[in-house]
Amino acid sequence: MNAPAGLPSLSDLVVERVGFGIFVVDRDMNVLMWNRFMQDHSGVPADEVIGRPIFERFPDLPRAWLTRKVESVFQLGSFAFSSWEQRPYLFQFDHDRPITGGVDYMQQDCTFMPLMRGRDVIAVCVTISDVTHVSVMQREREEAVAQLREYADRDGLTGIANRRYFEARLADEFQRWQRYGGELSMLLFDLDHFKRINDEFGHMAGDTVLRSMAQRVSGVVRKQDVFGRFGGEEFALLLPCTPLDDALYVAEKIRCTIADEPVEVQGVIVPVTASVGAATARTGAPDYEGMINEADAALYTAKRQGRNRSVALA
Amino acid sequence: MPDRVFTELQRDALQEIANLGMGQAATRLSGLLNAFIELSVPRVRVVAVSEAAAALREMTGIDGPVAAVRQGFRSEIKGEALVICRSGEIAELGSLVGGRADDRNDDAHHGTPRDDDALTEEELMFDVANALTGACVSSMLDQLGRMPIFSQPGLLGEAIMLDQVFQPGLLAWDVALLVEVNFALEDQRFRAHLVMLMAEESIHVVSRAIDALLHSL
Repeated sequence: MNAPAGLPSLSDLVVERVGFGIFVVDRDMNVLMWNRFMQDHSGVPADEVIGRPIFERFPDLPRAWLTRKVESVFQLGSFAFSSWEQRPYLFQFDHDRPITGGVDYMQQDCTFMPLMRGRDVIAVCVTISDVTHVSVMQREREEAVAQLREYADRDGLTGIANRRYFEARLADEFQRWQRYGGELSMLLFDLDHFKRINDEFGHMAGDTVLRSMAQRVSGVVRKQDVFGRFGGEEFALLLPCTPLDDALYVAEKIRCTIADEPVEVQGVIVPVTASVGAATARTGAPDYEGMINEADAALYTAKRQGRNRSVALA
Repeated sequence: MPDRVFTELQRDALQEIANLGMGQAATRLSGLLNAFIELSVPRVRVVAVSEAAAALREMTGIDGPVAAVRQGFRSEIKGEALVICRSGEIAELGSLVGGRADDRNDDAHHGTPRDDDALTEEELMFDVANALTGACVSSMLDQLGRMPIFSQPGLLGEAIMLDQVFQPGLLAWDVALLVEVNFALEDQRFRAHLVMLMAEESIHVVSRAIDALLHSL
């Protein structure tokens, strides 16, 4: 549609007001067109860049990269692209997200379009879209996924590893042990007469005991050990690179950590003890479940021998 | 059955169009990369998407994991182009597309500012894919009198199996016109394969465009 002489055409008006950056360069990187978005965000008005090499006013642009992109469009006569995921921005433009957005400059997707006359590329049009919101959303999503993954591995009540995660790590360590040898042990322990605590002081008190014991034991395990809640009042500790003798030493340490000091629940002193069963990976063992069964049997023996003790089956 | 979409005459014409298009594309790519480019004689086949992975495995001889980039093109004839290469081969392209693959983390590690002109491996892969797609698809459609507009390339995966590339849920096509061409650089091990996928509707437009072309001869 042709506008009356002297007045901008409809497409001129659109290019002027549209919500993304549009500029055109020739093969020598001279600017031929520069829309309002470019002007507003760069602070450089059209009449100061048009007719000049773009690098004159924007020396910070990645010169070789940009020249190569534009040249490829001239040579191939087809589009070229740049995504914020690989190159966060071409121009250092401010974005309108609050500072909490966590991104420094406006994140940009760029399209390099050949402008053709017949079969010749006469110029390259570059469009810049502001995709800051996409990048912020993507980061938030990644954080949410990481958090979910974390939750999926944790026991809701005590905050330590849950059984699923514990068994997954046990399976990993067992496989490593099968392949490379060495030592691998685990403990299963159970708070003694926990049902009585629940009955006598109520479930809330029982939960407090579980939480506080989990916290106490967490404080004495090594960083490379995996400490998890196995279910109810039963806990498990995975001890990589640890022979059975050392595992029994750790078992005693944990037993004492639990028994040495009673837990105070709403002003009431609740004495707590634990029985511990230790097991180690043995040559020829087909799977990690065997280790769990062995620890369970040892734990059962500890209970039968009078509780508040650590046992390993010879 | 899908191969009956084209008559024999049309298929011959399409093969010829693909040959011409790829010849043109090779010339343009050689100019850009400053290296001699070998583009294979394109193989044209119409297949159901469910058979595409098997067809492509047979055409390319690739059994292992691949890196795949997809890119849409749009005109009266529209579709998707996939560029597929063996995982890990991209890095070997090095300086060919002009930049060199660099490791940003490595730079950060040494405390030197990142060289803005260097390309990350993913960027390099997009550039190679985009150049191939742009040159080949434009050249072919040019023969049919169409000028496509391209969308931004997207990564389907860096190390996926061909079956995963052609998951029916990932691609919107039922029937696909496979135009397989492989792209090799002089003295380089690197090989890339370009596949064009078009839905039935576009395949019909291609068929009519071929008829028009044949009539005008």
